[in-house]
Amino acid sequence: MTRRVVLVDDHALFRAGVRGELGDSVEIVGEAGSVADAVPLIRDLDPEVVLLDVHLEDGGGEGVIAAVAPDRPGVKFLALSVSDAAEDVIAVIRAGARGYVTKTISGEELADAIERVAGGDAVFSPRLAGFVLDAFAAGERVGGDEELDALTPREREVLQLIARGYRYKEIAARLHLSVKTVEAHVSSVLRKLQLSSRHELTRWAQQRRLV
Amino acid sequence: MPERLFEVSSSDRVIAGVCGGVAATLGVDATLVRLVFALLALAGGAGILLYLALWVYAAGRRTWPGIVLVAAAGALLLLALGLPRTSVAGATLLIAGIAVVLSRGGSLRPGGSVPVLGVVLLASGAVIFLGRHASSGPFVAPGAVAGALLLVVGPWLWQLAGERAERIRLAERADVAARVHDSVLQTLALIQRHAGDATRVAAIARRQERELRRWLYGSGLGEASTLVDALGEAAADIEELHGVRVELASAGDVPLDEPVSQLVLAAREAMTNAAKFSGVDEIAVYAECRPDGIAVFVRDRGSGFDRAAVSPDRRGLTDSIEGRMRRAGGSATVVTAPDQGTEIELRLPGGGS
Repeated sequence: MTRRVVLVDDHALFRAGVRGELGDSVEIVGEAGSVADAVPLIRDLDPEVVLLDVHLEDGGGEGVIAAVAPDRPGVKFLALSVSDAAEDVIAVIRAGARGYVTKTISGEELADAIERVAGGDAVFSPRLAGFVLDAFAAGERVGGDEELDALTPREREVLQLIARGYRYKEIAARLHLSVKTVEAHVSSVLRKLQLSSRHELTRWAQQRRLV
Repeated sequence: MPERLFEVSSSDRVIAGVCGGVAATLGVDATLVRLVFALLALAGGAGILLYLALWVYAAGRRTWPGIVLVAAAGALLLLALGLPRTSVAGATLLIAGIAVVLSRGGSLRPGGSVPVLGVVLLASGAVIFLGRHASSGPFVAPGAVAGALLLVVGPWLWQLAGERAERIRLAERADVAARVHDSVLQTLALIQRHAGDATRVAAIARRQERELRRWLYGSGLGEASTLVDALGEAAADIEELHGVRVELASAGDVPLDEPVSQLVLAAREAMTNAAKFSGVDEIAVYAECRPDGIAVFVRDRGSGFDRAAVSPDRRGLTDSIEGRMRRAGGSATVVTAPDQGTEIELRLPGGGS
């Protein structure tokens, strides 16, 4: 079954490139280049997955998610960016994206990521795993006691391996877990990232901006 | 070299164009400036020295002679006004201090960089100046002179600071345009020339992307100043040299000191080995900075190797990676086996600083 995908990126050239790379592996039902165009388009088409650029001309990708998600809870968002700014990436994830991949990803890997996101899993690129470890490390010293405020040692281990370039299957083999369990850990990290309201994440983002 | 406060005027000149230049900078009539210089010249020759000082300064070769001349001109002016020698010495130091601050490009606004030498001169000048007058009577005359000087020079300095800021903004904009044009155009030209070589085109494009991104979001121009920036540079080099893809991830960052630089060099060597010998075109690098130390992982999914089978004259791993990390106070661990890929783990204890 090919997934119905909407592509949101302000560079037409890049959209054409992604279309070409993905080929027949997914069905690209629509494209948009701005927040203003993307919101009604996604509402109309109700796709399974939206590939969403972190930076758009008229705002961040999180604006698209915030406007669409309440009406279309079934739409999954996968952030796609060249941006190095960790706080921007985390902002899109916090808004509800199910994962983040960099634009240099190969077509095959991207198709795999879309499939994973459509199936309800989280997709963490090595870079995102690093950002998340960094964000949660900032709060470690404060010692928040809420369950959402810290990663478990196992989650941390899984994220470190993702950051080191291990795929889920390799992580599973290394930690003697099933792939499903690894996926569950990543989803749990994503949930913590999105639900945690702790100040440390905000403070971390602010500190990053100052550096 | 700090930005010039003014240029000599090539069109409006009587001697060297200094007065014309000053007039253009201040936006006043050149004749007025000449008149002030002429009056100052009458005060023991101070105007002449000041003129020379500005000339030397505008010529841009050296700043020190200019400062010395300005200080001497100030001293002559005050002596001509009939001030005692101690006051003159103090005032001279004050002026020299201001000159140093200006010549070093220091900003008088809050947050600007202020040269230490200039401040020391200013402070010692003020101490001598006030110390002289705290005990003796005639404080009013030099006080008035200082006050008048402040009134005259204050707005001028303020205006100069504003113009400096504007000029810096313009220079920055030009710099952005030049940089984007140069780098991007050059890359596009390279891509056209290597259009048939997909690997090379990809490497060039990625390197360009990294450079721009580091410049836009990272530590800016020039040498890398942090671990992650330096690893990014090393990764871009390896990508270009060997036509591989390096995926760099990081959590936290630290400034680049000597042990951290050694760590980067070791990581670079590990990337080179992976690019040359692993047989795959993708390398993952992850840097993690925690309070208890720094760890960098370089990993490939390639052929791996049997350490016992590596010829002893191949010194890359032993010297450039393990030896280097040991000398820097850290360690290197290699995990590999034939067909299992390779992961090299580099560690520095204690935050690296």
